Amino acid sequence: MPESDVEIHSAQSLVRWLTECVAMHLARPADTIDASVPLSDYGLDSVYALSVIAELEDHLDVSLDPAIMWDNPTIDALSKALAEELALNG
Amino acid sequence: MTATTPHASAATGTAARSPAPVPAGGSDPVPELVRRLDELAVAGGPFSAEALGALDAREGFPAEACRALDEFGLPRYYVPVEHGGALDDFSTVMRLLRAVSRVDLTVAAAHGKTYLGAVSTWIAGAPDRATWLGRRIAEGAVVSCALTERHHGSDLLAGEVTAREADGGAGWRVTGEKWLINNITRADLVTVLARTDPAGGPRGFSLFLVDKSRLTSEQLNPLPKVPTYGIRGADISGMEFHDVRVPSDALIGEAGRGVEIILKALHLTRTGCVAMSLGAGDHALSLAARFTTTATTDDGTSISELPHVRRELGAAMAGLLLAEATGLVAVRAVHALTAEMSVVSAVAKAYVPAQVDDLVARLLHSLGPYGLLDADGHGRFAKLERDHRIIGIFDGSSLVNRNALIDQFARLSRGYRTGRQDEEGLDEATDLGARLRPFDPRALSLLSGTGASVVAGLPAAVDRVHDLAVTEAASDRLATLAERLRRATDRLHEEMAAVRFPPRAVPGHAFELAERYELCFAAAAALHLWLRRRDGLDEAWLRGCLVTALTELGEPVGETEREDLDILADALLSARPGTVPSLLDSLEGTVR
Repeated sequence: MPESDVEIHSAQSLVRWLTECVAMHLARPADTIDASVPLSDYGLDSVYALSVIAELEDHLDVSLDPAIMWDNPTIDALSKALAEELALNG
Repeated sequence: MTATTPHASAATGTAARSPAPVPAGGSDPVPELVRRLDELAVAGGPFSAEALGALDAREGFPAEACRALDEFGLPRYYVPVEHGGALDDFSTVMRLLRAVSRVDLTVAAAHGKTYLGAVSTWIAGAPDRATWLGRRIAEGAVVSCALTERHHGSDLLAGEVTAREADGGAGWRVTGEKWLINNITRADLVTVLARTDPAGGPRGFSLFLVDKSRLTSEQLNPLPKVPTYGIRGADISGMEFHDVRVPSDALIGEAGRGVEIILKALHLTRTGCVAMSLGAGDHALSLAARFTTTATTDDGTSISELPHVRRELGAAMAGLLLAEATGLVAVRAVHALTAEMSVVSAVAKAYVPAQVDDLVARLLHSLGPYGLLDADGHGRFAKLERDHRIIGIFDGSSLVNRNALIDQFARLSRGYRTGRQDEEGLDEATDLGARLRPFDPRALSLLSGTGASVVAGLPAAVDRVHDLAVTEAASDRLATLAERLRRATDRLHEEMAAVRFPPRAVPGHAFELAERYELCFAAAAALHLWLRRRDGLDEAWLRGCLVTALTELGEPVGETEREDLDILADALLSARPGTVPSLLDSLEGTVR
């Protein structure tokens, strides 16, 4: 897992972390993942997406509604939604 | 719609304790139902073995038995108190359905299905719709739930039944076929999962509560009853919807939320299925006890005195107690560990029916041909063996549930390593004398944030057994068994942590790990229940459970340790005829 070394999570840092996380799950290089493409296009199905959320929760030390990934199906959208949530609750 | 809150640190403290486990709604309805079922089981009654056997033989629906349950008022227990019913404690419904299942699984599956039909409305519907549905159920309406389709099985996201918004926003139009649905032909109302976004996906489906009485025969075409291996009398059929117009208020919750709602609803119904398996297990053991005590060998020895028969009966009894421990803790977890139900319900639904299938097979092996022919005059054992096979498939098969566990392995192994748990919830779920908090459907989650407190709490529970052994409040034998369970559970979690797989490529050995996880959960549940028991209770039943769990985990178990199984056999054989020892008897001090 990528290390958590930033206290403030910007959308940009989240995009980076999520891209690496997804790349690891899909066993492909991070630079082949396009953050604007729906994750389901990479074969990351809706149920599997929940285990990515579990890692994200542990990384950020927050609890999330796992369905956040269903409402924000790309890395870009998810990062933006997360950054907003974290700013609201931080 | 996303809630973000910091992880709450594990709460401490003990749950509020009430002197006796009487349901908050007043007197306990279970003994009354058991009495009523006994009355209805006399010769010629709708619950008699001959009447139910005859219906089964000709695949007839047990309408009279279902009507008798309606008259008793059982449907009220499918409706939450806030919507006008009597459901305020899921463990009460479980005991009620277990009592029915002890007599007949076809009746239990047919009657209990209304809860599955209604549950989506309870957890996500508008309050006025929930009150309306509660009233309909109280008046005797049968409610079904249509998820699966002919070509897609468990893959809900592949569903083709479609709902389009009608012109001008005046409701929806539903088209397509649902198939292999319990009660769909006889139901008055059906909850239907339909595609509302042509692109599909987890936000592409919605749930609708369809009132069949308002539709014409051109709009609905019931499909023929499907002949089944067991529960032959049940209405397992299908339905074609031909451009069926349903009003706007038929939509349950928000459009696009259907998959999320139903996955959460299944956390409850999968747990409820446990009641049917436990009832079938009770029935199987009581028939086996009766047969082995009355049948004799050629030299006049009672079969129950043969050492190998006694050992098999004891092993089956231990299997049922482990299944019961899992079921009791799981159903209490609906209230006390609601957010963990994605794990708990998957364990309960995968483990308990499989355990009961195993014990039925084990007994059948011991009884030999007598089990199928002579154990009773109405083929009851053979019928329950057939009937019970379906329970492992209802509401998500064992494979589906084990897959759900595997998807959470990373979280579960991290949680176990760090001891992350909800201590207060665990205490409430495993102390049968503790008053359960009201169930809050908003706390259901697709993914357990804490992991599984029952298993994460095992190491501390084993430490407690060691402490008790020092003061001789627990035997050294128990402490040794508990310690071996902890080590096996430690090793299992290391193996779980090492499981890595790309989407849709779950490795085969992960399913074997999931089965071992279920055993560790079951044994941990038994240990927690014993530690929180209210009065002096012989620890032999717990040792029997641990011996069985360790054996099934592949751990070496010695002959001396197996002798505890004979103690359980003696408890079974000396029980009042027609009854089977239960943790509820021992822990609550009451007869079921």
